[in-house]
Amino acid sequence: MQPQLKSKVRCTDREVGEVTKVIMDPLSHEVSHLVVSMNGSGERQVSMGSVQTVTDDLVQLRSSSSEVMALPPFKRGDYVTLHEVEIPGLERNIHVTPGEVLVPFPELERNVKRRKFFTNLTYVMGLFIGLPLVYPMLKFLMKPMYAPFDNRWQKIGNVGKVKAEDTGTQFEFKHKVKEAYLPEAEIEKNVWLVKATPAVLEKVYQGKDKEFRDATGKTLWTNKKDMPYIAFSGKCPHLGCGYKWRKHKILGPVFLCPCHVSIYDASGRVLEGPAPRPLDLLPIQVSESGEVQIIDMEFKAGTKVQSRMV
Amino acid sequence: MSHTPSAPSAGTQPTVVEKVFDFVDERVGLKLLAAKMLNESVPGGSRWAYVFGSILLFIFIMQAVTGVLLMFYYVPTADHAYASTQYILHDVDYGWFLLGYHFWGSSAMVVCVFAHMSQVFLWGAYKKPRELIWLVGLSLFAIVMGFGFTGYLLPWDQRAYWATTVGVEIMDKTPLIGDFLARLLKGGATPGQMTLSRFFVIHVMVLPAALIGLAGLHLFLFRCAGPGGPFRGTPVELKAKTDYFFPRQIWKDVVGMAVVFASICALAFWEPVVLLEEATPDPGDYHPEPEWYFLFLFQHLRLKMFSGEFGQFLGAIAFPSLLGALLVALPFIDRDPERNIFKRPIALTLWVMLVVSILIFTVSAIINREFLD
Repeated sequence: MQPQLKSKVRCTDREVGEVTKVIMDPLSHEVSHLVVSMNGSGERQVSMGSVQTVTDDLVQLRSSSSEVMALPPFKRGDYVTLHEVEIPGLERNIHVTPGEVLVPFPELERNVKRRKFFTNLTYVMGLFIGLPLVYPMLKFLMKPMYAPFDNRWQKIGNVGKVKAEDTGTQFEFKHKVKEAYLPEAEIEKNVWLVKATPAVLEKVYQGKDKEFRDATGKTLWTNKKDMPYIAFSGKCPHLGCGYKWRKHKILGPVFLCPCHVSIYDASGRVLEGPAPRPLDLLPIQVSESGEVQIIDMEFKAGTKVQSRMV
Repeated sequence: MSHTPSAPSAGTQPTVVEKVFDFVDERVGLKLLAAKMLNESVPGGSRWAYVFGSILLFIFIMQAVTGVLLMFYYVPTADHAYASTQYILHDVDYGWFLLGYHFWGSSAMVVCVFAHMSQVFLWGAYKKPRELIWLVGLSLFAIVMGFGFTGYLLPWDQRAYWATTVGVEIMDKTPLIGDFLARLLKGGATPGQMTLSRFFVIHVMVLPAALIGLAGLHLFLFRCAGPGGPFRGTPVELKAKTDYFFPRQIWKDVVGMAVVFASICALAFWEPVVLLEEATPDPGDYHPEPEWYFLFLFQHLRLKMFSGEFGQFLGAIAFPSLLGALLVALPFIDRDPERNIFKRPIALTLWVMLVVSILIFTVSAIINREFLD
């Protein structure tokens, strides 16, 4: 039991006063000292070590009254109150109040029996407001997420630009986009063209024409397996960076992506690096005058199986 | 002054400032509040190791101030973001400085978050009863990374565009919800205006609100549990060295803030922000690379073991998630009350391994740059 405020303090010989303050130890969270009013002759600070017994209204000390009187006077300036300091958990350890401090429970409140009901009603009202908002908010955010594919043919330049067989040539072109409320804008894009020898073509098409379908599954275009020009999307199938045609010290001329160093040969096959699939082939047509047109498709990066995004 | 209020009988008249202070104090208990804030008992006394929490708060406030100022000129649209950022850099008085400060401030934030987390980890301060502080701290860490990631896109230059492209593609690899998440964040199939709008709102509204709330909770929980104090020393020794938050710890915190402030200013001055070309899906000669503090993640995806679809899932999603989960579970796995780091060999080894591997991957990413042209 902790000493109570206002308890009488008795020494071995006589009663000396009452407990006016209690001093707590900030580390152990225990009462370390009592402050005793010496019946009008100042206050003394008494260590809990000299307390013999503590009862409801009496603190019995081991010392005599003259010993206690001989202690130096209590210095209030060396202490701060509990309200002026933050020592976590300290308040939970104090049981020295002289009694309960009470305020009246309001008359009207006393008769409210269904407190639980009203608590739950508050939650229900919250759900009533919140739940109907979930779907509209989600749809609000989702509006631009799934745009239809753009299957227009894009003019990208003339094959005259391709100087050698089985080498990558970059074709940069402007792709017109109209995004939501913005005015129509042109964004710069690029594809890689390869004039392939039959050996490379065989690697690309493996003897079969390549069909491209739209979202509904209808055939959009077929790349003939013997047409020498092939076009790759400029997006690396690893994580979507832009790759280059570079000379590799060991592998020779290759497509190389600087991001995570995926390396592909002229047929788009992965030679080295983290890419999960070959470069993405695009639908291509070349007019008699050599003008190249492609459908600017984009595919999801990082997947083994192609899945079209744009 | 015609009449005097019933002033204390000290003899001197209270000044206007004192009167205003007393007026407020009478109504909200300012003195008590200030006492409660400043008289926080620091077991074992103040230390330089404890400065990082305060420094992070300081950096955040400065990021908010500079960020708000940047918004006076910045326009978050695909056709104006780049131009308005250039305008801030080259035309607005001290624009280069405020943008530079904001830019380097983000790096300082990451550095100090790492120092703060390391300190807590090494001091064993995540252990009972401080588990909740650790958990909220981890979410704050995620928010800081989110700030870096979303803020990066806003200048709309090539660096911004490609870091975002790759970052979102990585998110896309999350099983089941990846595609949805990536599209939700991009506002479409490819980065564009919708992406810029979303990143902007997340950067200037969503994340700051979340950070303010969670940082408040972090502090509240910290005040509930109290500082852990040093991991060595008997109660008697600790008690002898214990002092309050004010003035010694606050002094150390303030010195720390001043050092960080001076460093950020110096970086903003000597390493000004330079924009690359305006963002386009054609990278030209640019080699995409994320901000330096994401470099180690970027570099480890180049490893052979993380190639192919499954390898990529391992490297981009599973491995970082596992690390995150481990950090979340840490206070519940490590229930040994021993806080002395020199008596926790596993914890020390893991920390050293993490730091060394981050260093190795970051440095190798930097070395790799030379071999790419």
